[in-house]
Amino acid sequence: MMESKRTSIQPLEVLLVEDSPGDVRLTQEALKDAKVHINLRVVRDGIDAMAFLMREGEYATAPRPDLILLDLNLPRKDGREVLKEIKENQELKSIPVVILTTSASEADILRSYLLHANCYITKPVNLDGFLTVVKSIDSFWLSVVKLPPNRGL
Amino acid sequence: MPWSESAYMKPSHDLNESEDGRARYRSLLEASPDAMVVVSPNGEIVLLNAQAEKQFAYRRDELLGKDVKSIIPEGFAERLIADGTRTAAEALAQQIGTGIELNGRRKDGSQFPIEIMLSPLESAEGTLVTAAIRDVTEHKNAEKHLAQMEARYRGLLEAAPDAMVVVNQNGEIVLLNVQAEKQFGYRRDELLGRKVKSIIPEGFAERLIADGTRTAAEALAQQIGTGIELSGRRKDGSEFPIEIMLSPLESAEGTLVTAAIRDITERKRIEDALRDSEERFRLMASGIKDYANVMLDPEGFIVSWNEGGERLKGYRAEEIVGQHFSRFYSAEDIRKGLPAMELKQAKETGRFEGEGWRVRKDGSRFLANIVITAFRDEKGQLRGFGKITRDITERRRAEEHLTKTMEDLKRSNEELGQFAYVASHDLQEPLRMVASYTQLLAQRYKGRLDSDADEFIAFAVDGCNRMQGLIQDLLSYSRAGANAEPLREISCEGALEKTLRNLRPTIQDSGAMVTHDSLPTIMTDETQLVQVLQNLIANAIKYHGAEPPLIHVSATRNSGNEWVFSVRDNGMGMEPQYFERIFILFQRLHGQKEFAGTGIGLAMCKKIVDRLGGRIWVESQPTKGSTFYFALPAGDGK
Repeated sequence: MMESKRTSIQPLEVLLVEDSPGDVRLTQEALKDAKVHINLRVVRDGIDAMAFLMREGEYATAPRPDLILLDLNLPRKDGREVLKEIKENQELKSIPVVILTTSASEADILRSYLLHANCYITKPVNLDGFLTVVKSIDSFWLSVVKLPPNRGL
Repeated sequence: MPWSESAYMKPSHDLNESEDGRARYRSLLEASPDAMVVVSPNGEIVLLNAQAEKQFAYRRDELLGKDVKSIIPEGFAERLIADGTRTAAEALAQQIGTGIELNGRRKDGSQFPIEIMLSPLESAEGTLVTAAIRDVTEHKNAEKHLAQMEARYRGLLEAAPDAMVVVNQNGEIVLLNVQAEKQFGYRRDELLGRKVKSIIPEGFAERLIADGTRTAAEALAQQIGTGIELSGRRKDGSEFPIEIMLSPLESAEGTLVTAAIRDITERKRIEDALRDSEERFRLMASGIKDYANVMLDPEGFIVSWNEGGERLKGYRAEEIVGQHFSRFYSAEDIRKGLPAMELKQAKETGRFEGEGWRVRKDGSRFLANIVITAFRDEKGQLRGFGKITRDITERRRAEEHLTKTMEDLKRSNEELGQFAYVASHDLQEPLRMVASYTQLLAQRYKGRLDSDADEFIAFAVDGCNRMQGLIQDLLSYSRAGANAEPLREISCEGALEKTLRNLRPTIQDSGAMVTHDSLPTIMTDETQLVQVLQNLIANAIKYHGAEPPLIHVSATRNSGNEWVFSVRDNGMGMEPQYFERIFILFQRLHGQKEFAGTGIGLAMCKKIVDRLGGRIWVESQPTKGSTFYFALPAGDGK
């Protein structure tokens, strides 16, 4: 009852927190060829991200994500705050969070890991790089890695 | 009386045996004022005059044919006699013309001092000798008296610190001390008997001589005890200023004058220097228009005022002298007791310096720099104060303006740095979108539209790529040196090793050979040093010539306490007109087709080296290769 077995038929839930429509679209394009079936949900800022995760308002029926792709520079609520709230929340902290941002600043990198980000990726500036990164996330986090049981199901 | 030339008998050769000649000679003898005796070679008196009779108290016939020893017992006859080594004539020749002091003996046996002069006289009997004999008793007495006086005064004279000269009424020097010898550069015997005019050409001798209205003693009396400034003349003719003090000295020969002579060269020099300095000070103090130069009495009342004071504060001398200097202070400063405090400090420490607002006659204020100096007399008693005031309002304003400009400049530089960072960072985002989607277009639709579309997309992709390159370089340039770490002792050989490791693929691909001399350990930032070396070596490889790249790195210490590093290559080199330009951001000598790149490398090197307090430059000739130099402070001096 508490644990349910995931099969390859079940889609993986991925939450993308990203305000740039261009990046959203690129991510979607990159995941088109993914080996696993991915259910990509998108929110545009930190407030919506937390609402989604807490299943508040319009997100009352939102699924619990298996993986979160989080940008740091977001409107309304900063990605750093979102990361902190997730990792301080007993229910949410087991969800792997991949920071996917344009910032290459050492301060951001260090701070993210201190807040228990599961990995930190700087968005490559060219298309091929970006596609490669998204595919790597797909193959690593969604195929190679054993994710914790999704208690939200 | 001294001998005079005319008193002597001239040797006469025309004296023959004839009676006539002898008579003529006798009359000559009688005309002489001295006693004259003619003596034969064997010492017998053959001729004499009346003076000789008188002097020795003999009658003529008592002396003729007698041995001359009876009247001159010693020293004369011996001189006539030949000995083994010389003839009588030779013995005599040595004495001719010379006064000899001997003793004469009268008939009664009494002796008296004489001086004799000898001259030869040829005759049939052989060489006769004519002796002129003078009684020098009186002369001797005078000498004795002088000797006594000299003995009495010499001790006194020698003890005197000044040159002392005793002069008689004829103006002749009769006595002097060692200081006088030294001062005038003569030996004592050169001055004795000499006219005082030879050492004091003017103003002294004249004072000794009586004129119609006064006696010599009176003339002298007027000068006694008064210092007279005259000129002294040394033996070598040089003159020097002297001061003389005269005092009379009674003696048997009349009134002598003792002159104390002081060399006042040094005093004159000091007086002149003092006068010059006073004059200079007066000119300066009154002439300076930018400084108020005020003298205060010990209580602070104004004693003197200059033109600068009038200009600066608006008061004329006649309205301000006698007023208290506190009137230049604001009411508030007076309430705080500032004027009194400043005087107190000047009094206690000798000097006060300060800045503050002062008030002009018209009530307007100016910012003043004030120096107050205390003046004391020899005993340390406060005599007053010198006060110099400068208007520094303008200077202060200029300083403030400069400080503000510097701050503005610093802020503007920081803003510019910040701007470059933010701009390049934020530009990157939309550019990434443009680049990504043009690339996506190119990937998905290449060959599916017409050939124009493919070409246009290719240009768009290329433009995006280059712009991304520029922005990334701009970003690294704006970051260069921004996160500078504290300088540490760095092995430059270690830094070069790291550099070569970073460049290994490039070096291997190009077949380049990199050599180096031994490199020093210096205080610097290793990351930045590696960046500089890496850029220079990469450039040397990139812009190679016909031969495979040969690169040599070395470092030498210069006299300006810098380490000068050089990276020399055998590459294509460049014209001198580009030596400056290549260090400017995004300036390139080649098109993209020849060499890819944005022109960031050397600009980055320059920025880093500048930040490390160094310099960078290049020496090059086309086709002959280039040598890039950069100098870094040696820091700890190793």
